[in-house]
Amino acid sequence: MDRFLTQLWLARDAIVGGVLITMEAALAAIAVGTVLGLAIGLLLVYGHPVVRGACRAYVDIIRGTPVLVLILAAFYITPALGLQMDAFQAGLLALSLFCGAHLGEIVRGAVRTVPHGQSEAGRSIGLTFPQLLAYVILPQALRQALPPWVNTGVELVKASTLLSVIGVGELLLKTQEIVGRNFMTLQFYAVAGALYLLVNLGIETLGRSLEARVRS
Amino acid sequence: MSAAQGRPLLQIRGLHKHFRDVEVLKGVDLEVHEREVVSIIGSSGSGKTTLLRCVNLLEEFDGGEIVLDGESIGYRLRRGRRHRLPDRLLSRQRAMTGMVFQNFNLFPHLTALGNVMLGLTKVRRMQRDEARALAENWLARVGLAQRTGYYPSQLSGGQQQRVAIARALAMNPKLVLLDEVTSALDPELVQEVLATVKSLADEGATLLIVTHEMGFARQVSHRVVFMDKGLIAEQGPPAQVFERPASARLAEFLGSARH
Repeated sequence: MDRFLTQLWLARDAIVGGVLITMEAALAAIAVGTVLGLAIGLLLVYGHPVVRGACRAYVDIIRGTPVLVLILAAFYITPALGLQMDAFQAGLLALSLFCGAHLGEIVRGAVRTVPHGQSEAGRSIGLTFPQLLAYVILPQALRQALPPWVNTGVELVKASTLLSVIGVGELLLKTQEIVGRNFMTLQFYAVAGALYLLVNLGIETLGRSLEARVRS
Repeated sequence: MSAAQGRPLLQIRGLHKHFRDVEVLKGVDLEVHEREVVSIIGSSGSGKTTLLRCVNLLEEFDGGEIVLDGESIGYRLRRGRRHRLPDRLLSRQRAMTGMVFQNFNLFPHLTALGNVMLGLTKVRRMQRDEARALAENWLARVGLAQRTGYYPSQLSGGQQQRVAIARALAMNPKLVLLDEVTSALDPELVQEVLATVKSLADEGATLLIVTHEMGFARQVSHRVVFMDKGLIAEQGPPAQVFERPASARLAEFLGSARH
């Protein structure tokens, strides 16, 4: 036990750094993915048929591809296209695209649940289309989308472990490095597991309090 | 009812509309004058609701013209071809008419007050205080002064429909369209809504009403229009239409409406 605590103390900077990178990657991907998903979702419902087709292809291709493949693709293909990206940026790109596709589908479904009569009522009082979206459709749709949105956040934290494959120093890679030095496999993977659980419980708690707020 | 109406407010000329290969409006001509109350009756499928929805630009139409207060609505001609107006203009024209729907269509995420205020603050661009005062005033006029903070789900059907009426009227529309406003209500709630509509008529609002309530149409209207198979088959003062129908179709319809 003493030896474990000593090793834990020695590894503290690496672990904290790993958690921070994990959270940074997940939060940034959620932020970018949310903006992307909102746009994609609305275009899937209201877009010109050509635009809708393009969005549908994006969503289906991304959702049909394993996240690991997306990450490797972003890491190896972007330099070939002449884009200078470090591993973290490439990983973030992959996670954001993944998140955007999932949220796009979630937003589309949520907008579809708002009855057509709502649009007609909004239009009948003279709301323009952007006003209709902002004050009538989205407030109702986003309430529907909140639980799956929180769920996507949790999925992203878990998917961020895959960034270790391209050498991003997030929690899993840091843990592997630590274990490589002290061979305390069980203990340090348990620590990593507990930290992931903690982060995800935090996200779920945040999500539940948001839900409680919009319900009241 | 006296027929002391003003100038023509709504002019519908040769209105045509089809859904795929079904022609639902086959050249409808109708004028509604200021402060006039006109009821449209007819069996389902006669095109009466579609006519109302064309006036509110919720439906596109294929031919003819709708002129509201001197302004041709929904379309403009350019180089000999009709073009649907851009969204921003359609919105402005829609705000000239108020619509009350069969299924109320209140915004469930807003209170009664919020429902009435939304158009005032976003379309009329009123200050919040001013909008609130006007909305409260209208909710009081439909008998809901004590319910301003309630959400639609906390209100009865009749109360919801009265909020919807307040929402439409608060925008100060030139013309109010009422689409079977009591059809979704439990029988015991019909009267409170009809009484509210009657009070609007008495105050001089211009109303175009689609209804199945023959007694109400007779009581409240200056003129009753009978639609049949996409055309206006007969029209006139309520006493004439209900007591001396000229066409066999109308007599038959009135017979079946009486059960």
